Amino acid sequence: MTTVATVRSELQDLYGRESAAIEQEFSVTGDGRAALARRTALVDGIVQRLWNEIIVSSHPASTDSGSKPADGDGPKDFALVATGGFGRGWLFPHSDIDLLFLHAGGNSESEFKDPIRRFSQELWDLRMKLSPATRNLAECERLDPNNVEFAISLLDCRYLAGDRELFTRLREKAIPRLVSRDCQNLIQNLAEITRARHHKFGNTVFHLEPNVKDGPGGLRDYNVANWLALISAMEKLKVWPDEKTLLPVSSRRAFDAALDFQMSVRCFLHFRHGRHDNTLFWEAQDEAAARKIGASIGANDAEITNTADWMRVYFGHVLSVHRVCNQLLEEIPAAWSSLYRQFQGWRSKVASADFSVVDGLIFLQQPGGLRDPEMLLRLFHFMAEHGLKLSTTTEYKVEQALPALAATPPRGAELWLYLQETLVQPHAADALRAMNALRLLALLLPELKGIEALVVRDFYHRYTVDEHSFLAIEHLHRLKESKSEWDQRFAELQSELEQPELLYLALLLHDSGKGVPGENHVEVSMQLTDSCAERLDLDPVDRETVRYLVANHLEMSAAMRRDIFDPANVKLFAERVGVPERLKMLCLMTYADIKAVNPEAMTPWRADNLWQLYIACANFLSRSADERVHTGNKDDGSGGNLAHLRSLAPVAGKKINVFLEGLPQRYLRIHGASDVLAHAEMAARLGQDGVQLNLKQVRHWYELTLITTDRSFLFASVSGALAAWGMNIVKANAFSNAAGMVVDTFYFADRFRTLEMNLQEWERLKKSIAAVVKGEADVARMLRDRLKSEKGNVTKVKIATQIEFDDNCSAHSTLLQVLTQDRPGLLYRMCSLVSKHECNIEIALIETEGQMAIDVLYLTSGGAKLSADRQAALGRALREELAAR
Amino acid sequence: MTKVEAIIQVSKLEAVKDALHEVGVEGMTVFEARGHGRQKGHTEFYRGREYTVDLIPKVKLEIVLADEMVEKVVQAITAAARTGKIGDGKIFLSRIDEAIRIRNDERGESVL
Repeated sequence: MTTVATVRSELQDLYGRESAAIEQEFSVTGDGRAALARRTALVDGIVQRLWNEIIVSSHPASTDSGSKPADGDGPKDFALVATGGFGRGWLFPHSDIDLLFLHAGGNSESEFKDPIRRFSQELWDLRMKLSPATRNLAECERLDPNNVEFAISLLDCRYLAGDRELFTRLREKAIPRLVSRDCQNLIQNLAEITRARHHKFGNTVFHLEPNVKDGPGGLRDYNVANWLALISAMEKLKVWPDEKTLLPVSSRRAFDAALDFQMSVRCFLHFRHGRHDNTLFWEAQDEAAARKIGASIGANDAEITNTADWMRVYFGHVLSVHRVCNQLLEEIPAAWSSLYRQFQGWRSKVASADFSVVDGLIFLQQPGGLRDPEMLLRLFHFMAEHGLKLSTTTEYKVEQALPALAATPPRGAELWLYLQETLVQPHAADALRAMNALRLLALLLPELKGIEALVVRDFYHRYTVDEHSFLAIEHLHRLKESKSEWDQRFAELQSELEQPELLYLALLLHDSGKGVPGENHVEVSMQLTDSCAERLDLDPVDRETVRYLVANHLEMSAAMRRDIFDPANVKLFAERVGVPERLKMLCLMTYADIKAVNPEAMTPWRADNLWQLYIACANFLSRSADERVHTGNKDDGSGGNLAHLRSLAPVAGKKINVFLEGLPQRYLRIHGASDVLAHAEMAARLGQDGVQLNLKQVRHWYELTLITTDRSFLFASVSGALAAWGMNIVKANAFSNAAGMVVDTFYFADRFRTLEMNLQEWERLKKSIAAVVKGEADVARMLRDRLKSEKGNVTKVKIATQIEFDDNCSAHSTLLQVLTQDRPGLLYRMCSLVSKHECNIEIALIETEGQMAIDVLYLTSGGAKLSADRQAALGRALREELAAR
Repeated sequence: MTKVEAIIQVSKLEAVKDALHEVGVEGMTVFEARGHGRQKGHTEFYRGREYTVDLIPKVKLEIVLADEMVEKVVQAITAAARTGKIGDGKIFLSRIDEAIRIRNDERGESVL
């Protein structure tokens, strides 16, 4: 047996025995750092022994003359260097062993070729996974743009054997020179590689089965943060800096705790899987939690009672690494291209009196300002609006402000005001993520506490529950900029929403119930939604909308599993939703919810099915508006709304019955209980004044309700009067009951801010409308004056007019649908023409989407559907009228 | 061994899955599919735009079975998926030469 063979056998025994002992020790202590140190020392010993046996003994200078190189064993100008993870002394059980065979250059490469091959072969035979590189000093000093990773690996170089002086030249001269010269390139490349890696993992730490090495916030990010700090410091000092000074002490403490924890977890995974696999699978999570791997680091043992608790501790550590890494990527200017920095410089112009912006990072103008909770809320609103990130100092200030805030957290309308403004901003999801990472979100909305970093075992979900909710909000905001055909359809719906903030709030809360294990999550989410609505002091109608969305967030997905082209299924689902606005919200919620499950979940197949179901239901709702309420019948057709109203106002029961008898069911779906009761009151006052009007300002527009006795030209006249006042009618509904009383509601935008600037104009407008309704004012003349002054206005998008009659969708009326270019006075002109053709408007559903007016009128003539001749004549007249400017 | 490929209505997937479990089928592969046979497309107008669906959404199931199971499985699928109307779907059967479990190279019917 040759010497080398004997050594190999010895080393095999040693390696096997010692590896088993390390594993055994880890199974008892769970101490990853100790295991890595012991394994590094073991491999150090093995490679040094092989160096002596193969390199030193085969070199003539060592054997013949007995003379030794200046320092270290073996030939001069040749050294063995540990790099990468091995260089750091972090040799995980199944990690590659990064070795650099360093030589001085000249002929030495060919001289050492054979010994290097034999040396490497021996390590492979020992079943060690070797990752070798051979370079001369000059090559180490040059940055290879195709292999930046090698230059980075040198930052962790460590002497193992051979010519120590050569190694010293590498470490003390070549590497500082490389870093000084190529600092910008190194940082930019490192930043790009890191961002690409983060992107691959969806830019979030919150994966249900995270990768503890490469995932955002994993061990690789720990290294990236250190490398960035090291390169920056070395570039300034031109020598190796003191490692302890690289990061601020405040970051270092959490950072080191995270490192210890992650070392233990990765070590555990390698031993558990028996291979280089860093994925923290569900089964591994259970086992790690049961063994409380790393639990003593930064958490109390008693805090961990189950896997979800252990995963929260895990995410806590990962998050702190992710934050430090991202902060360095943001704050080191060289980490960005000059174009990006120019863009960020441009963005600094968005600075306000409260916040300044430098390189895309928000700083506080007044450091003590965060003592005011409003300032804190404004900070995140600013972030959501401009897509900026918080600077490290700002984050630190937020953390400092939290204890005081926790004593008296903001609530009620004040909190909702800021929250809703934040939710509708384009970067709301990032602001929510930042609030969540800083523990501010659960402080403001404790209903979300249970889903913080919560892993729920579900085959389809990829992210934790909180991240899933943020992602759903993000997907809706991104719709506008998407080029995808599907996204554009849904983006159109989104732009039509009257109160998008309610949808975003519902998305934030929709899975909050998952924090309570074992319960039906939808029911618990509804309870938490109620609690949250109370905390935010939401308006009752808004509260009902959010509650409805949370309660039904799975219903449209369920409906998609039925035959979506079957009219009976469409009718069933549309009737359950009831109102077009809710249908839009539910459709968008379903879209966002599915899309946030995992990147592949929203397939074109599903997107198409969802869209088909939506349009079928939307069409059903606009074409089935004249089913009537019959208060005397057992099935009154109100779907329980009537019973609810009676319970709210028991003494007004008869009054309500008289008012509602014969009104379309659609009326009850559109108007909430408080509206209906107010309308019934107005109807009861008709004896005193035959024209009852109510004008109020709602969030986006004004709402005028008219209750009076039906007559010809009524709807047209009021539309004309509003247009004459310069108001833009964006939506309108007109309904009549069995007693011939009409309830018309007009929603309009005040284009010239007449009502906003002049409070006395509210009364003047109402008087003007009343005069028109009573026939005391000439609406045609009023409108003529207004239209004259607006003649020069140019339309931006041309909408072709489409007119359609449908006799089949109603038992009593003919439906007329007109799609045309919106313009001042349009409704007046159209409805006047309808009245001139002796048609009565039973129901009107008026909507405006951008420059398109979508008007649906249910018409009768002489109490019956329109004859074919009348339809043809009216159609011709409408086409001519609408063709004229 | 036989491969059963069944193209069925989306709304019948749950019923078919239940029926297959009842006759002892534990594993299956399900694909989202689109297509049409004699059942033609569907057109819906919305806001003046025409949305035509030429290919109707379906799901396709694939199961590989021991030959003695095939008839039982075909009956379970047809019973659960049938409405009697056009569009109920189709079942295709084909021969399979070999089955291999990737994890351990096991071969034959025991893999199924």
